[in-house]
Amino acid sequence: MVQNLFYFLTFLTLLSALMVIFSKNPIHSVLYLILTFFTISGHYILLNAQFLAAVNIIVYAGAIMVLFLFVIMFLDLKKESEQHIPALAKVAGVIAGGMLLVIFVAAFKSMQTITPDEASFNSQIGLVTTLGKVLFKQYLLPFELASVLFLSAMVGAVMLGKKEEGERNTF
Amino acid sequence: MLSIILLSVSGIASLFLGFNKSRSLLMPATLLFLLVALAVNLWDWNVPFTLSSAYNNGMMTVDKTTIVFSAILLVSALLVIPFSQNYIDRPQAQPAEYYAILLFALVGGIMMTAYDNLIMLFVGVEILSISMYVLAGSDKRNLRSTEAALKYFLMGAFATGFLLFGVALLYGATMSFSIKGIADYTNANVGNLSPLLYVGIVMVLIGVLFKVSAAPFHFWTPDVYEGSPSLFTAFMSTVVKTAGFAALYRLLAVSFTGLYDYWAMSIAVVALLTLVVGNITASHQHSFKRMMAYSGISHAGYLLIAVTAFQNTSQDAILFYSLAYSVATIAAFGVLILVADKQQGSEDFSAFNGLAKNNPFLAFVMTLAMCSLAGIPLTGGFFGKFLIFSSAFAKGGLNWLLIGAILMSAVGIYYYFKVVIAMYIREGKTEKIALTGLQQAAFVLSILLTLLLGVVPNLFADLV
Repeated sequence: MVQNLFYFLTFLTLLSALMVIFSKNPIHSVLYLILTFFTISGHYILLNAQFLAAVNIIVYAGAIMVLFLFVIMFLDLKKESEQHIPALAKVAGVIAGGMLLVIFVAAFKSMQTITPDEASFNSQIGLVTTLGKVLFKQYLLPFELASVLFLSAMVGAVMLGKKEEGERNTF
Repeated sequence: MLSIILLSVSGIASLFLGFNKSRSLLMPATLLFLLVALAVNLWDWNVPFTLSSAYNNGMMTVDKTTIVFSAILLVSALLVIPFSQNYIDRPQAQPAEYYAILLFALVGGIMMTAYDNLIMLFVGVEILSISMYVLAGSDKRNLRSTEAALKYFLMGAFATGFLLFGVALLYGATMSFSIKGIADYTNANVGNLSPLLYVGIVMVLIGVLFKVSAAPFHFWTPDVYEGSPSLFTAFMSTVVKTAGFAALYRLLAVSFTGLYDYWAMSIAVVALLTLVVGNITASHQHSFKRMMAYSGISHAGYLLIAVTAFQNTSQDAILFYSLAYSVATIAAFGVLILVADKQQGSEDFSAFNGLAKNNPFLAFVMTLAMCSLAGIPLTGGFFGKFLIFSSAFAKGGLNWLLIGAILMSAVGIYYYFKVVIAMYIREGKTEKIALTGLQQAAFVLSILLTLLLGVVPNLFADLV
């Protein structure tokens, strides 16, 4: 059952990832990318890593993709503007992509698969509870000090965003 | 540790003080907070900090070195704050926010000096950087200020990415975020180190070198330093740089002592490049502020020489040099803020023409600051350079770097004295500039520190 689910998810992931590249409309690309993120989160859940799955959806599907959508809508991509890509850029792209492929092949060739030691393997390690325990015991100090980071960023955002007297929006 | 808590709380307190309609209370309150934080920071001097292991799980250590570094950061902030008077007197200023963010930034700076765990380093770098992005853009009506904030933010976010990627790779190689844990791994696996470790070191170094504006990663510096309000440029070029070097040296000294041969050459080349780029470019600037930005780059180069030398004396040299550099830079920016305010915001060398006629005190402060930065004897900068060069000389094999550095400090004398010539020889009219009591105190303190560092360096050199 789990295996079938895995194959289904993997098929969906690969399909949506390919559709990101092949769709002509950038908005469709972004939507397929969101689907890809969701299916990857599905993989995380299958691996018993709930926290990663949640963070993946919140950060990637939630925040970053909305940014992508905003950028695409601001850019207002017209059909004619994307036609002329210089030949040099195409060659450079092929070379760069090919080198990435070579690196991937090399990395996979030297990859060692390690089977976990079943006696000592803790299948609960990816759960939120485990993470919370580490975060609030071992990493309490950086966790608390991160609040200073957010407070500083928040004060800064309010300070920069606050409307000044006599200021008018120019939009 | 206590100073971190105190600074965080006083940052929040300063925000609440902003509810008060009167703005006159904010600056004295901030100075008071900083003085108390400085006292609390020094309080730990002779007390072995037992809490650090039990309470923080090895997140940070407070020892004499970190206390002195933190004290330099706090003293720099104390010297900068009096010059905020003109800036917060503008009708659209939001002083409570400025001071609160400055205090929060210091929290990040102290974390960077005392971290024992790469997570602490990362959070510290981020607190300091994000505060600086905001303060760089705090002059909202000035296009240059906004540009500076945006540039600093985009480049800084990119560098942070490098730092974080490097930390992740170090963790992948050593299974530890603790700098001591990383050292244990490198000592235990000599000759059999994971390749991830090397890539991780390089990426972390790139991230930190960006923050201290060393040469191949310096491109943001001139525009950001020039565009930001001078007050925050002074803070950026002293506090951020000192904290960055504290972090860099701590990481290399604790974790990667055994890998000296791997990283030393790259740091040495970066140091020489930084010196050449900083000094040569600084010598043909028209704007004094932009010259100071390049001078900041070149001083990062001198400090990197001490990092490369990596002797027992190197840390003392970095401490001494950071203090001398910070004090002189703040004094120079203090004069610049006051002069630019009188000269319709002009920050060129020509704004200083004839300053000495009506403002002999300001001209004297500026001259002394320039002498210290150039490394003229009897000022702190001379002994700072002396300590750095002698530690590099003691290391041996770095003579090419030393020759380059000495040549470049000769170039430095040329551009630092351009402003002195403008003040004393060129004709120009500047009315008498009125100083507040606090500004006078800050100038006197910086003069005293510069001269003390230059005349009796032993007072400070054997501190740690």
